[in-house]
Amino acid sequence: MSLPKPHPLAHTSLVVSAAIFAFPLLWMVLSSLKPSTQLVEDPYAFWPRQWQWSNYVEAVQAMPYLRYLRNTLLLAGGSVVGSVLSCSLVAYGFARVRWRGRNVLFGVLIATMLLPWHVTMIPRFLLLRELGLYNSLAALVVPTFLGDAFYIFLLRQFFLTIPEELSEAGRLDGLGEWGIFCRIIMPLSTPALATVALFQFIASWNDFSGPLLYLSDPDKFPLAYGLEQFVSSYSDQTHLLLAAATLFTLPIVILFFLTQRTFLRGIATTGLKG
Amino acid sequence: MSANIRRNLTGIAFVSPWLIGLGLLFAYPFAASLYWSFCRYDLLSPPEFIGTQHYQRLAAEIAAGEGFGRAIWNTGYFALLSVPLSIALGVGLATMLSWKVRGQAVYRTLFFLPSVVPVVASSALWIWLLDPRDGILNRLLESVAAPRQLWFKGATEAMAPPDWFDFGSKDALILMSLWGVGNFMVIYLAAIGDIPEQLYEAAELDGAGRLRRFWHVTIPMLSPVIFFNLVMGMIQSVQAFTQVYIVSEGTGEPAAWSLMLSLHLFLSAFQDLDMGYASAMSWLLFVFLLIATALLFRTSRNWVHYQGAGR
Repeated sequence: MSLPKPHPLAHTSLVVSAAIFAFPLLWMVLSSLKPSTQLVEDPYAFWPRQWQWSNYVEAVQAMPYLRYLRNTLLLAGGSVVGSVLSCSLVAYGFARVRWRGRNVLFGVLIATMLLPWHVTMIPRFLLLRELGLYNSLAALVVPTFLGDAFYIFLLRQFFLTIPEELSEAGRLDGLGEWGIFCRIIMPLSTPALATVALFQFIASWNDFSGPLLYLSDPDKFPLAYGLEQFVSSYSDQTHLLLAAATLFTLPIVILFFLTQRTFLRGIATTGLKG
Repeated sequence: MSANIRRNLTGIAFVSPWLIGLGLLFAYPFAASLYWSFCRYDLLSPPEFIGTQHYQRLAAEIAAGEGFGRAIWNTGYFALLSVPLSIALGVGLATMLSWKVRGQAVYRTLFFLPSVVPVVASSALWIWLLDPRDGILNRLLESVAAPRQLWFKGATEAMAPPDWFDFGSKDALILMSLWGVGNFMVIYLAAIGDIPEQLYEAAELDGAGRLRRFWHVTIPMLSPVIFFNLVMGMIQSVQAFTQVYIVSEGTGEPAAWSLMLSLHLFLSAFQDLDMGYASAMSWLLFVFLLIATALLFRTSRNWVHYQGAGR
Protein backbone atom coordinates (compact mmCIF):
# COMPACT_ATOMS: atom_id res chain seq x y z
CA MET A 1 0.00 0.00 0.00
CA SER A 2 1.15 3.46 -0.73
CA LEU A 3 -0.31 6.61 0.63
CA PRO A 4 -0.05 10.35 0.32
CA LYS A 5 3.18 11.70 1.70
CA PRO A 6 2.84 13.16 5.17
CA HIS A 7 2.50 16.83 5.80
CA PRO A 8 5.43 18.43 7.66
CA LEU A 9 3.21 18.79 10.69
CA ALA A 10 2.21 15.12 10.58
CA HIS A 11 4.44 14.03 13.38
CA THR A 12 3.41 16.83 15.68
CA SER A 13 -0.29 16.24 15.19
CA LEU A 14 0.18 12.51 15.78
CA VAL A 15 2.10 13.08 18.98
CA VAL A 16 -0.46 15.55 20.30
CA SER A 17 -3.45 13.32 19.50
CA ALA A 18 -1.75 10.24 20.90
CA ALA A 19 -0.99 12.12 24.10
CA ILE A 20 -4.64 13.15 24.44
CA PHE A 21 -5.85 9.58 23.92
CA ALA A 22 -3.31 8.06 26.25
CA PHE A 23 -3.59 10.60 29.02
CA PRO A 24 -6.76 9.34 30.78
CA LEU A 25 -5.33 5.84 31.20
CA LEU A 26 -1.92 7.10 32.22
CA TRP A 27 -3.51 9.46 34.73
CA MET A 28 -5.64 6.62 36.10
CA VAL A 29 -2.67 4.31 36.64
CA LEU A 30 -0.46 7.02 38.14
CA SER A 31 -3.17 8.23 40.48
CA SER A 32 -4.04 4.69 41.54
CA LEU A 33 -0.53 4.56 42.99
CA LYS A 34 -0.75 7.81 44.94
CA PRO A 35 -1.33 7.90 48.69
CA SER A 36 -4.91 8.85 49.51
CA THR A 37 -3.70 11.99 51.28
CA GLN A 38 -1.99 13.21 48.13
CA LEU A 39 -5.18 12.74 46.10
CA VAL A 40 -6.97 15.01 48.54
CA GLU A 41 -4.29 17.64 49.16
CA ASP A 42 -2.60 17.83 45.79
CA PRO A 43 -4.66 15.90 43.23
CA TYR A 44 -2.98 17.43 40.16
CA ALA A 45 0.61 16.50 40.91
CA PHE A 46 1.80 14.25 38.12
CA TRP A 47 3.97 11.78 40.00
CA PRO A 48 2.94 9.92 43.13
CA ARG A 49 4.57 11.32 46.25
CA GLN A 50 5.39 7.71 47.00
CA TRP A 51 4.45 4.60 45.05
CA GLN A 52 1.60 3.26 47.13
CA TRP A 53 1.27 -0.33 45.88
CA SER A 54 -0.76 -1.14 48.95
CA ASN A 55 -3.73 0.63 47.32
CA TYR A 56 -4.12 -2.49 45.22
CA VAL A 57 -4.02 -4.79 48.21
CA GLU A 58 -6.58 -2.62 49.97
CA ALA A 59 -8.87 -2.50 46.93
CA VAL A 60 -8.78 -6.27 46.56
CA GLN A 61 -9.55 -6.70 50.25
CA ALA A 62 -12.35 -4.14 50.21
CA MET A 63 -14.45 -6.43 48.02
CA PRO A 64 -14.70 -10.19 47.57
CA TYR A 65 -12.30 -9.87 44.67
CA LEU A 66 -11.37 -13.51 44.29
CA ARG A 67 -14.97 -14.58 44.32
CA TYR A 68 -15.85 -12.00 41.68
CA LEU A 69 -12.87 -13.11 39.62
CA ARG A 70 -13.89 -16.74 39.91
CA ASN A 71 -17.41 -15.89 38.76
CA THR A 72 -16.08 -13.87 35.83
CA LEU A 73 -13.81 -16.71 34.76
CA LEU A 74 -16.66 -19.22 35.02
CA LEU A 75 -18.88 -16.93 33.01
CA ALA A 76 -16.26 -16.14 30.39
CA GLY A 77 -15.00 -19.73 30.14
CA GLY A 78 -18.47 -21.19 29.71
CA SER A 79 -19.43 -18.54 27.19
CA VAL A 80 -16.28 -19.05 25.12
CA VAL A 81 -16.92 -22.80 24.93
CA GLY A 82 -20.56 -22.17 24.07
CA SER A 83 -19.86 -19.60 21.39
CA VAL A 84 -17.04 -21.45 19.68
CA LEU A 85 -18.95 -24.75 19.60
CA SER A 86 -22.33 -23.47 18.52
CA CYS A 87 -21.17 -20.76 16.12
CA SER A 88 -18.72 -22.99 14.26
CA LEU A 89 -21.41 -25.66 13.76
CA VAL A 90 -23.93 -23.14 12.50
CA ALA A 91 -21.39 -21.34 10.33
CA TYR A 92 -20.46 -24.67 8.73
CA GLY A 93 -24.11 -25.30 7.95
CA PHE A 94 -24.38 -21.90 6.27
CA ALA A 95 -21.03 -21.96 4.48
CA ARG A 96 -20.34 -25.52 3.38
CA VAL A 97 -23.60 -27.47 3.14
CA ARG A 98 -26.05 -26.72 0.32
CA TRP A 99 -29.63 -27.02 1.48
CA ARG A 100 -32.99 -25.49 0.75
CA GLY A 101 -33.75 -22.32 2.65
CA ARG A 102 -30.13 -21.68 3.49
CA ASN A 103 -30.00 -18.22 1.96
CA VAL A 104 -33.34 -17.15 3.40
CA LEU A 105 -32.30 -18.19 6.90
CA PHE A 106 -28.95 -16.51 6.50
CA GLY A 107 -30.82 -13.31 5.70
CA VAL A 108 -32.82 -13.79 8.90
CA LEU A 109 -29.55 -14.23 10.79
CA ILE A 110 -28.23 -10.93 9.45
CA ALA A 111 -31.53 -9.23 10.31
CA THR A 112 -31.27 -10.35 13.95
CA MET A 113 -28.02 -8.37 14.20
CA LEU A 114 -29.96 -5.19 13.55
CA LEU A 115 -32.63 -6.01 16.12
CA PRO A 116 -32.24 -3.86 19.23
CA TRP A 117 -31.89 -5.96 22.37
CA HIS A 118 -34.69 -4.03 24.07
CA VAL A 119 -37.35 -5.67 21.98
CA THR A 120 -36.50 -9.14 23.22
CA MET A 121 -35.19 -8.19 26.66
CA ILE A 122 -38.34 -8.54 28.77
CA PRO A 123 -39.78 -11.81 27.39
CA ARG A 124 -36.31 -13.31 27.25
CA PHE A 125 -35.81 -12.43 30.89
CA LEU A 126 -39.14 -13.96 31.88
CA LEU A 127 -38.47 -17.06 29.79
CA LEU A 128 -35.08 -17.69 31.37
CA ARG A 129 -36.65 -17.07 34.77
CA GLU A 130 -39.33 -19.64 34.01
CA LEU A 131 -36.56 -22.08 33.14
CA GLY A 132 -35.18 -21.57 36.64
CA LEU A 133 -32.09 -19.71 35.48
CA TYR A 134 -32.72 -16.48 37.37
CA ASN A 135 -29.92 -15.63 39.77
CA SER A 136 -27.61 -18.10 38.10
CA LEU A 137 -24.61 -17.57 35.86
CA ALA A 138 -26.22 -20.16 33.60
CA ALA A 139 -28.71 -17.50 32.49
CA LEU A 140 -25.78 -15.74 30.84
CA VAL A 141 -23.94 -18.83 29.63
CA VAL A 142 -26.74 -21.01 28.21
CA PRO A 143 -27.71 -18.55 25.43
CA THR A 144 -24.14 -18.62 24.09
CA PHE A 145 -24.70 -22.29 23.22
CA LEU A 146 -27.43 -21.17 20.84
CA GLY A 147 -25.16 -19.15 18.60
CA ASP A 148 -24.51 -15.49 18.06
CA ALA A 149 -25.23 -13.85 14.70
CA PHE A 150 -22.06 -11.77 14.68
CA TYR A 151 -19.69 -14.69 15.36
CA ILE A 152 -21.58 -16.99 13.00
CA PHE A 153 -21.18 -14.39 10.28
CA LEU A 154 -17.48 -14.03 11.02
CA LEU A 155 -16.85 -17.78 10.93
CA ARG A 156 -18.96 -18.29 7.82
CA GLN A 157 -16.89 -15.73 5.94
CA PHE A 158 -13.78 -17.59 6.99
CA PHE A 159 -15.12 -21.04 6.10
CA LEU A 160 -16.03 -19.75 2.64
CA THR A 161 -12.38 -19.03 1.92
CA ILE A 162 -11.35 -22.69 2.46
CA PRO A 163 -11.09 -24.39 -0.99
CA GLU A 164 -13.94 -26.78 -1.77
CA GLU A 165 -11.39 -29.30 -3.13
CA LEU A 166 -10.33 -30.06 0.44
CA SER A 167 -13.87 -31.12 1.30
CA GLU A 168 -14.04 -33.15 -1.92
CA ALA A 169 -10.84 -34.94 -0.97
CA GLY A 170 -12.36 -35.71 2.41
CA ARG A 171 -15.48 -37.10 0.76
CA LEU A 172 -13.37 -39.35 -1.46
CA ASP A 173 -11.72 -40.64 1.68
CA GLY A 174 -15.17 -41.54 2.97
CA LEU A 175 -15.74 -38.67 5.39
CA GLY A 176 -19.24 -37.37 5.94
CA GLU A 177 -20.06 -33.71 6.60
CA TRP A 178 -19.41 -34.20 10.31
CA GLY A 179 -16.02 -35.74 9.59
CA ILE A 180 -15.13 -32.93 7.17
CA PHE A 181 -16.18 -30.39 9.78
CA CYS A 182 -14.10 -31.94 12.56
CA ARG A 183 -11.06 -33.13 10.67
CA ILE A 184 -10.64 -30.61 7.85
CA ILE A 185 -12.47 -27.33 8.44
CA MET A 186 -11.97 -26.86 12.17
CA PRO A 187 -8.20 -27.47 12.19
CA LEU A 188 -7.78 -24.99 9.32
CA SER A 189 -9.86 -22.35 11.07
CA THR A 190 -7.93 -21.77 14.26
CA PRO A 191 -7.32 -18.05 13.48
CA ALA A 192 -11.04 -17.37 13.07
CA LEU A 193 -11.95 -19.56 16.07
CA ALA A 194 -9.38 -17.66 18.13
CA THR A 195 -11.01 -14.39 17.12
CA VAL A 196 -14.41 -15.62 18.27
CA ALA A 197 -12.98 -16.95 21.53
CA LEU A 198 -11.17 -13.68 22.15
CA PHE A 199 -14.16 -11.47 21.41
CA GLN A 200 -16.50 -13.60 23.50
CA PHE A 201 -14.08 -13.64 26.41
CA ILE A 202 -13.86 -9.86 26.36
CA ALA A 203 -17.62 -9.49 25.95
CA SER A 204 -18.22 -11.71 29.00
CA TRP A 205 -15.51 -10.00 31.01
CA ASN A 206 -17.08 -6.60 30.28
CA ASP A 207 -20.75 -7.55 30.43
CA PHE A 208 -22.65 -5.41 32.87
CA SER A 209 -26.28 -5.40 31.77
CA GLY A 210 -26.51 -9.21 31.82
CA PRO A 211 -25.52 -9.57 35.49
CA LEU A 212 -27.57 -6.49 36.38
CA LEU A 213 -30.63 -8.14 34.93
CA TYR A 214 -30.15 -11.76 35.92
CA LEU A 215 -28.14 -11.87 39.15
CA SER A 216 -29.33 -10.78 42.57
CA ASP A 217 -27.05 -12.73 44.89
CA PRO A 218 -23.74 -10.89 45.55
CA ASP A 219 -21.99 -14.26 45.79
CA LYS A 220 -22.60 -14.73 42.09
CA PHE A 221 -21.55 -11.31 40.84
CA PRO A 222 -18.81 -11.20 38.24
CA LEU A 223 -16.12 -8.52 38.38
CA ALA A 224 -17.83 -6.02 36.07
CA TYR A 225 -20.91 -5.89 38.26
CA GLY A 226 -18.94 -6.09 41.50
CA LEU A 227 -16.80 -3.19 40.35
CA GLU A 228 -19.86 -1.06 39.67
CA GLN A 229 -21.12 -1.75 43.19
CA PHE A 230 -17.69 -0.83 44.48
CA VAL A 231 -17.65 2.39 42.44
CA SER A 232 -20.95 3.54 43.86
CA SER A 233 -20.12 2.69 47.48
CA TYR A 234 -16.48 3.85 47.54
CA SER A 235 -16.89 7.03 45.51
CA ASP A 236 -14.99 9.05 48.12
CA GLN A 237 -12.06 6.61 48.26
CA THR A 238 -10.53 7.63 44.96
CA HIS A 239 -7.29 5.71 45.43
CA LEU A 240 -9.10 2.40 45.95
CA LEU A 241 -11.57 3.09 43.18
CA LEU A 242 -8.83 3.78 40.65
CA ALA A 243 -6.82 0.77 41.78
CA ALA A 244 -9.89 -1.43 41.35
CA ALA A 245 -10.64 0.02 37.91
CA THR A 246 -7.03 -0.46 36.83
CA LEU A 247 -7.02 -4.01 38.11
CA PHE A 248 -10.18 -4.72 36.12
CA THR A 249 -8.80 -3.18 32.92
CA LEU A 250 -5.30 -4.62 33.06
CA PRO A 251 -6.09 -8.23 32.00
CA ILE A 252 -7.92 -6.98 28.92
CA VAL A 253 -5.07 -4.68 27.98
CA ILE A 254 -2.56 -7.52 28.43
CA LEU A 255 -4.79 -9.79 26.38
CA PHE A 256 -4.88 -7.15 23.67
CA PHE A 257 -1.10 -6.92 23.53
CA LEU A 258 -0.72 -10.70 23.43
CA THR A 259 -3.24 -11.13 20.64
CA GLN A 260 -2.91 -7.85 18.77
CA ARG A 261 -2.95 -9.33 15.27
CA THR A 262 -5.96 -11.58 15.86
CA PHE A 263 -7.67 -8.70 17.57
CA LEU A 264 -7.19 -6.03 14.93
CA ARG A 265 -7.77 -8.40 12.01
CA GLY A 266 -11.03 -9.55 13.58
CA ILE A 267 -12.31 -6.01 13.88
CA ALA A 268 -11.14 -5.01 10.41
CA THR A 269 -12.68 -8.00 8.60
CA THR A 270 -16.05 -7.89 10.31
CA GLY A 271 -16.28 -4.18 9.61
CA LEU A 272 -15.25 -4.37 6.01
CA LYS A 273 -17.41 -7.32 5.14
CA GLY A 274 -20.38 -6.01 7.05
CA MET B 1 -33.65 -37.33 -4.45
CA SER B 2 -32.90 -39.04 -1.18
CA ALA B 3 -29.41 -37.56 -1.32
CA ASN B 4 -31.11 -34.19 -1.57
CA ILE B 5 -33.25 -34.76 1.50
CA ARG B 6 -30.22 -36.01 3.33
CA ARG B 7 -28.31 -32.87 2.50
CA ASN B 8 -31.18 -30.67 3.59
CA LEU B 9 -31.37 -32.52 6.89
CA THR B 10 -27.60 -32.28 7.37
CA GLY B 11 -27.69 -28.54 6.78
CA ILE B 12 -30.53 -28.03 9.21
CA ALA B 13 -28.80 -30.23 11.78
CA PHE B 14 -25.72 -28.02 11.63
CA VAL B 15 -27.66 -24.80 12.08
CA SER B 16 -30.06 -26.28 14.66
CA PRO B 17 -28.45 -24.60 17.71
CA TRP B 18 -29.10 -21.24 16.12
CA LEU B 19 -32.60 -22.27 15.00
CA ILE B 20 -33.49 -23.11 18.61
CA GLY B 21 -32.04 -19.78 19.68
CA LEU B 22 -33.98 -18.01 16.95
CA GLY B 23 -37.22 -19.47 18.23
CA LEU B 24 -36.62 -19.10 21.96
CA LEU B 25 -34.57 -15.93 22.16
CA PHE B 26 -35.87 -13.96 19.17
CA ALA B 27 -39.14 -15.11 17.63
CA TYR B 28 -41.02 -15.84 20.85
CA PRO B 29 -39.79 -12.71 22.72
CA PHE B 30 -40.49 -10.64 19.62
CA ALA B 31 -44.10 -11.80 19.44
CA ALA B 32 -44.61 -11.74 23.21
CA SER B 33 -43.41 -8.17 23.60
CA LEU B 34 -45.70 -7.07 20.76
CA TYR B 35 -48.66 -8.67 22.52
CA TRP B 36 -47.69 -7.33 25.95
CA SER B 37 -47.42 -3.84 24.53
CA PHE B 38 -51.22 -3.96 24.39
CA CYS B 39 -51.53 -5.33 27.92
CA ARG B 40 -51.31 -4.23 31.50
CA TYR B 41 -48.64 -6.53 32.89
CA ASP B 42 -46.82 -6.17 36.22
CA LEU B 43 -45.47 -9.74 36.51
CA LEU B 44 -47.61 -10.38 39.60
CA SER B 45 -50.83 -11.03 37.72
CA PRO B 46 -51.23 -12.35 34.16
CA PRO B 47 -51.21 -9.87 31.25
CA GLU B 48 -54.53 -8.11 30.77
CA PHE B 49 -55.44 -6.72 27.35
CA ILE B 50 -56.03 -2.96 27.42
CA GLY B 51 -55.71 -1.98 23.76
CA THR B 52 -53.54 0.93 22.71
CA GLN B 53 -53.41 2.68 26.09
CA HIS B 54 -49.64 2.42 26.40
CA TYR B 55 -49.14 3.83 22.93
CA GLN B 56 -51.48 6.72 23.76
CA ARG B 57 -49.48 7.39 26.89
CA LEU B 58 -46.24 7.33 24.89
CA ALA B 59 -47.71 9.74 22.34
CA ALA B 60 -48.81 12.07 25.13
CA GLU B 61 -45.33 11.90 26.67
CA ILE B 62 -43.74 12.75 23.34
CA ALA B 63 -46.07 15.75 23.00
CA ALA B 64 -45.28 16.91 26.53
CA GLY B 65 -41.54 16.22 26.27
CA GLU B 66 -41.60 14.16 29.47
CA GLY B 67 -40.68 10.56 30.21
CA PHE B 68 -40.46 8.85 26.83
CA GLY B 69 -40.38 12.20 25.05
CA ARG B 70 -37.46 13.34 27.16
CA ALA B 71 -35.68 10.03 26.59
CA ILE B 72 -36.10 10.43 22.81
CA TRP B 73 -34.66 13.92 22.94
CA ASN B 74 -31.73 12.79 25.09
CA THR B 75 -30.98 9.81 22.86
CA GLY B 76 -31.35 11.89 19.70
CA TYR B 77 -29.01 14.55 21.03
CA PHE B 78 -26.45 11.91 21.96
CA ALA B 79 -26.72 10.00 18.67
CA LEU B 80 -26.79 13.03 16.35
CA LEU B 81 -23.62 14.41 17.90
CA SER B 82 -21.64 11.31 18.80
CA VAL B 83 -22.08 9.43 15.51
CA PRO B 84 -20.94 12.19 13.09
CA LEU B 85 -18.16 13.23 15.46
CA SER B 86 -16.94 9.65 15.80
CA ILE B 87 -16.92 9.28 12.00
CA ALA B 88 -14.91 12.47 11.60
CA LEU B 89 -12.51 11.49 14.36
CA GLY B 90 -12.19 7.89 13.16
CA VAL B 91 -11.42 8.95 9.58
CA GLY B 92 -9.08 11.66 10.83
CA LEU B 93 -7.07 9.37 13.10
CA ALA B 94 -6.91 6.62 10.47
CA THR B 95 -5.69 9.12 7.89
CA MET B 96 -3.00 10.31 10.26
CA LEU B 97 -1.98 6.71 10.92
CA SER B 98 -1.70 6.05 7.20
CA TRP B 99 1.06 8.61 6.87
CA LYS B 100 4.46 7.03 6.71
CA VAL B 101 5.98 8.23 9.91
CA ARG B 102 8.21 6.49 12.37
CA GLY B 103 6.50 4.82 15.31
CA GLN B 104 3.22 4.31 13.46
CA ALA B 105 2.48 1.10 15.38
CA VAL B 106 2.88 2.91 18.70
CA TYR B 107 0.44 5.66 17.74
CA ARG B 108 -2.04 3.07 16.47
CA THR B 109 -1.87 1.24 19.78
CA LEU B 110 -2.35 4.44 21.77
CA PHE B 111 -5.40 5.45 19.72
CA PHE B 112 -6.89 2.00 19.91
CA LEU B 113 -6.21 1.14 23.55
CA PRO B 114 -9.08 3.20 25.05
CA SER B 115 -11.60 1.19 23.06
CA VAL B 116 -10.62 -2.04 24.82
CA VAL B 117 -11.11 -0.54 28.28
CA PRO B 118 -14.23 -2.16 29.78
CA VAL B 119 -17.17 0.24 29.88
CA VAL B 120 -17.55 -0.16 33.65
CA ALA B 121 -13.94 0.90 34.15
CA SER B 122 -14.00 3.73 31.61
CA SER B 123 -17.20 5.08 33.15
CA ALA B 124 -15.61 5.12 36.60
CA LEU B 125 -12.52 6.73 35.10
CA TRP B 126 -14.44 9.49 33.33
CA ILE B 127 -16.63 10.23 36.33
CA TRP B 128 -13.39 11.01 38.12
CA LEU B 129 -11.69 12.88 35.26
CA LEU B 130 -14.79 15.02 34.81
CA ASP B 131 -15.53 15.62 38.46
CA PRO B 132 -16.83 19.21 38.63
CA ARG B 133 -14.75 20.05 41.69
CA ASP B 134 -11.53 17.99 41.61
CA GLY B 135 -11.50 16.64 38.06
CA ILE B 136 -8.38 17.12 35.98
CA LEU B 137 -10.26 18.35 32.92
CA ASN B 138 -11.85 21.26 34.73
CA ARG B 139 -8.45 22.05 36.11
CA LEU B 140 -7.01 22.12 32.58
CA LEU B 141 -9.90 24.30 31.41
CA GLU B 142 -9.20 26.67 34.24
CA SER B 143 -5.55 26.88 33.34
CA VAL B 144 -6.49 28.20 29.88
CA ALA B 145 -9.00 30.60 31.45
CA ALA B 146 -12.00 28.60 30.20
CA PRO B 147 -15.03 28.20 32.48
CA ARG B 148 -15.35 25.05 34.58
CA GLN B 149 -18.08 22.62 33.53
CA LEU B 150 -20.54 20.47 35.45
CA TRP B 151 -20.16 17.47 33.08
CA PHE B 152 -22.02 14.42 34.45
CA LYS B 153 -23.66 16.57 37.12
CA GLY B 154 -24.94 19.16 34.67
CA ALA B 155 -28.50 19.42 33.38
CA THR B 156 -27.37 21.36 30.31
CA GLU B 157 -26.67 20.74 26.65
CA ALA B 158 -23.61 22.42 25.19
CA MET B 159 -24.74 22.09 21.59
CA ALA B 160 -28.30 23.32 21.96
CA PRO B 161 -29.95 26.51 23.18
CA PRO B 162 -30.37 27.92 25.75
CA ASP B 163 -27.12 26.83 27.39
CA TRP B 164 -24.59 26.91 24.55
CA PHE B 165 -21.19 25.64 25.68
CA ASP B 166 -22.35 24.63 29.14
CA PHE B 167 -21.22 21.03 29.01
CA GLY B 168 -23.65 18.73 30.77
CA SER B 169 -24.15 15.01 31.32
CA LYS B 170 -24.84 14.06 27.71
CA ASP B 171 -21.88 16.07 26.44
CA ALA B 172 -19.71 14.16 28.90
CA LEU B 173 -21.10 10.87 27.55
CA ILE B 174 -20.31 12.02 24.00
CA LEU B 175 -16.77 12.87 25.00
CA MET B 176 -16.42 9.44 26.57
CA SER B 177 -17.72 7.71 23.44
CA LEU B 178 -15.27 9.63 21.25
CA TRP B 179 -12.42 8.42 23.40
CA GLY B 180 -13.40 4.85 22.48
CA VAL B 181 -13.46 5.48 18.72
CA GLY B 182 -10.59 3.02 18.18
CA ASN B 183 -12.77 0.19 16.88
CA PHE B 184 -14.03 2.15 13.92
CA MET B 185 -10.61 3.69 13.41
CA VAL B 186 -9.12 0.24 12.87
CA ILE B 187 -11.73 -0.48 10.22
CA TYR B 188 -10.99 2.81 8.45
CA LEU B 189 -7.29 2.11 8.62
CA ALA B 190 -7.72 -1.28 6.94
CA ALA B 191 -9.92 0.31 4.28
CA ILE B 192 -7.38 3.04 3.58
CA GLY B 193 -4.77 0.34 3.12
CA ASP B 194 -6.98 -1.22 0.43
CA ILE B 195 -7.21 1.95 -1.67
CA PRO B 196 -5.27 1.34 -4.92
CA GLU B 197 -2.22 3.54 -5.21
CA GLN B 198 -3.00 4.33 -8.86
CA LEU B 199 -5.97 6.42 -7.77
CA TYR B 200 -3.73 8.77 -5.84
CA GLU B 201 -1.18 8.84 -8.65
CA ALA B 202 -3.87 9.65 -11.22
CA ALA B 203 -5.25 12.40 -9.00
CA GLU B 204 -1.80 13.81 -8.52
CA LEU B 205 -1.19 13.82 -12.28
CA ASP B 206 -4.43 15.76 -12.67
CA GLY B 207 -2.96 18.34 -10.36
CA ALA B 208 -4.97 17.50 -7.25
CA GLY B 209 -3.35 18.74 -4.06
CA ARG B 210 -3.29 17.00 -0.71
CA LEU B 211 -6.73 18.17 0.35
CA ARG B 212 -8.42 17.39 -2.96
CA ARG B 213 -6.92 13.93 -3.01
CA PHE B 214 -8.37 13.39 0.45
CA TRP B 215 -11.85 14.62 -0.57
CA HIS B 216 -12.01 13.04 -4.01
CA VAL B 217 -10.12 9.79 -3.46
CA THR B 218 -9.92 8.83 0.21
CA ILE B 219 -13.42 9.84 1.28
CA PRO B 220 -15.31 8.22 -1.64
CA MET B 221 -13.22 5.07 -1.25
CA LEU B 222 -14.03 4.99 2.46
CA SER B 223 -17.73 5.63 1.92
CA PRO B 224 -18.79 1.96 2.41
CA VAL B 225 -17.08 1.98 5.80
CA ILE B 226 -18.51 5.38 6.67
CA PHE B 227 -21.91 3.98 5.85
CA PHE B 228 -21.29 0.94 8.02
CA ASN B 229 -20.13 3.23 10.83
CA LEU B 230 -23.24 5.35 10.42
CA VAL B 231 -25.64 2.40 10.68
CA MET B 232 -23.79 0.64 13.51
CA GLY B 233 -23.15 3.91 15.34
CA MET B 234 -26.83 4.78 15.21
CA ILE B 235 -27.88 1.37 16.51
CA GLN B 236 -25.22 1.40 19.21
CA SER B 237 -25.98 4.89 20.46
CA VAL B 238 -29.72 4.25 20.59
CA GLN B 239 -28.93 1.16 22.67
CA ALA B 240 -26.31 2.81 24.89
CA PHE B 241 -26.98 1.54 28.37
CA THR B 242 -24.09 0.55 30.62
CA GLN B 243 -22.27 3.90 30.64
CA VAL B 244 -25.55 5.80 31.04
CA TYR B 245 -26.56 3.57 33.95
CA ILE B 246 -23.23 3.91 35.73
CA VAL B 247 -22.62 7.65 35.35
CA SER B 248 -26.15 8.40 36.58
CA GLU B 249 -26.08 5.64 39.22
CA GLY B 250 -29.02 3.99 37.51
CA THR B 251 -31.29 7.02 37.68
CA GLY B 252 -30.84 9.08 34.51
CA GLU B 253 -30.19 12.07 36.73
CA PRO B 254 -29.42 14.96 36.87
CA ALA B 255 -32.99 16.05 36.23
CA ALA B 256 -33.57 13.21 33.74
CA TRP B 257 -30.97 14.88 31.53
CA SER B 258 -29.20 11.60 30.84
CA LEU B 259 -32.30 9.43 30.81
CA MET B 260 -31.68 7.65 27.52
CA LEU B 261 -34.20 5.36 25.88
CA SER B 262 -32.56 2.13 27.00
CA LEU B 263 -32.33 3.27 30.62
CA HIS B 264 -35.89 4.55 30.63
CA LEU B 265 -37.03 1.22 29.22
CA PHE B 266 -35.03 -0.72 31.78
CA LEU B 267 -36.35 1.33 34.69
CA SER B 268 -39.95 1.12 33.48
CA ALA B 269 -39.69 -2.65 33.20
CA PHE B 270 -37.60 -3.65 36.18
CA GLN B 271 -38.14 -0.86 38.66
CA ASP B 272 -41.75 0.15 37.98
CA LEU B 273 -42.64 -3.39 36.80
CA ASP B 274 -44.61 -1.81 33.97
CA MET B 275 -43.85 -4.50 31.39
CA GLY B 276 -46.60 -3.44 29.02
CA TYR B 277 -45.49 0.18 28.82
CA ALA B 278 -41.85 -0.91 28.42
CA SER B 279 -42.79 -3.36 25.68
CA ALA B 280 -44.68 -0.68 23.79
CA MET B 281 -41.65 1.55 24.08
CA SER B 282 -39.34 -1.17 22.79
CA TRP B 283 -41.58 -1.67 19.78
CA LEU B 284 -41.69 2.00 18.93
CA LEU B 285 -37.93 2.03 19.22
CA PHE B 286 -37.66 -0.98 16.94
CA VAL B 287 -39.94 0.53 14.30
CA PHE B 288 -38.01 3.78 14.48
CA LEU B 289 -34.68 2.01 14.00
CA LEU B 290 -36.13 0.02 11.12
CA ILE B 291 -37.28 3.18 9.35
CA ALA B 292 -34.04 5.02 10.05
CA THR B 293 -31.95 2.11 8.75
CA ALA B 294 -34.12 1.81 5.64
CA LEU B 295 -33.77 5.56 4.98
CA LEU B 296 -30.01 5.34 5.40
CA PHE B 297 -29.84 2.45 2.94
CA ARG B 298 -31.95 4.43 0.48
CA THR B 299 -29.80 7.55 0.62
CA SER B 300 -26.65 5.40 0.54
CA ARG B 301 -27.16 4.81 -3.20
CA ASN B 302 -26.31 8.43 -3.78
CA TRP B 303 -23.11 8.66 -1.85
CA VAL B 304 -21.69 5.20 -1.10
CA HIS B 305 -19.29 3.93 -3.77
CA TYR B 306 -18.80 0.20 -3.90
CA GLN B 307 -15.76 -0.97 -5.74
CA GLY B 308 -16.19 -3.74 -8.31
CA ALA B 309 -19.02 -6.23 -8.37
CA GLY B 310 -17.68 -8.54 -5.69
CA ARG B 311 -19.54 -7.03 -2.79
